Amino acid sequence: MLSRRQLLAASPTTLPLFLALSACKGPAVLSGPPPVASQTQMLLRTVTAEQNLIWIYNKAMAGYSALRPTLAPLLAEHRAHLAQLAARVVEPPGEKVPRAVTARPTLAATAGGALVQLRAAEQAAVARLLGQGLLGRASPSLAQLYASVAASEATHVTRLTSRIEQSHPGS
Amino acid sequence: MPAKAVAKKTPAKKTPAKKTPARAAEISALQGALAAEHAAIYGYGVVGAMLAGGPLSQARAYWIAHQEARDILEAMLVRLGATPIAASPAYRLPFAVTGEASAVRLAVLLEDGVAQAYLGVVAVTNVALRSFGALSMQPPANRAVAWRGTTVAFPGMP
Repeated sequence: MLSRRQLLAASPTTLPLFLALSACKGPAVLSGPPPVASQTQMLLRTVTAEQNLIWIYNKAMAGYSALRPTLAPLLAEHRAHLAQLAARVVEPPGEKVPRAVTARPTLAATAGGALVQLRAAEQAAVARLLGQGLLGRASPSLAQLYASVAASEATHVTRLTSRIEQSHPGS
Repeated sequence: MPAKAVAKKTPAKKTPAKKTPARAAEISALQGALAAEHAAIYGYGVVGAMLAGGPLSQARAYWIAHQEARDILEAMLVRLGATPIAASPAYRLPFAVTGEASAVRLAVLLEDGVAQAYLGVVAVTNVALRSFGALSMQPPANRAVAWRGTTVAFPGMP
């Protein structure tokens, strides 16, 4: 045990040595930003998924102008979904609301094929939104937004199915 | 309209349900959905009276779907130890239904009301009930589109 006199006499060069020998860790390092909450991560992924849907709708409308009357209202609703979802993101430090499309699938070679492709994308979006991990971990108001968006996208599936059947009865 | 189908109900097992705030919220949300289904069943009687042909067949199919949904909700409430609310003997219509156009308008309103009620179920904390509410929103959302002819961005949202 060091006496008070000995401790006061310790020079700036011996004090760090003493601290190291006595296993003292010294002052705590300032911690970085807290990890992004799982609810926020899921919301960010949902925003990205909506952007991917918008991308494929734009691509289909650019590729097949005859589909525009059917697709334009659905695309407008996806844009409304994206706006509402993005508005719920409180950007955590180091995380931005994603603005990049992460999936750029090749558009089907025919208009009918593109409709089938869009329908599959909508079905996948509904399934994703209603997954218990997403719905169960969200706050009540966010869960309601997910459910409403899922219901809207379920109506898109129905609308696209009708359009596919008009183009190819019996398909 | 066809005669009301009488569902055969098995005697419900009453489990002792704890009266927690969460449980009370679940019961309240389910009762809200049941009230909307009751209203829709009544309303479709009015709607159907003004329709013919294909639209009448559609109204009849939707009327039956609402009865099935009502039976499911009643069974769920009984399982939770609650007494399902009864339908009103009559409902005041939001506007005069005098022909096909107003009948269709009423059908849209009924379906929107049901979707909105199920959205209330989504706000409870019980994950299984949330999923039930979210899935149950889809048929009324689709039926509203069938009547309205157009989709909406946020079914069930005010």
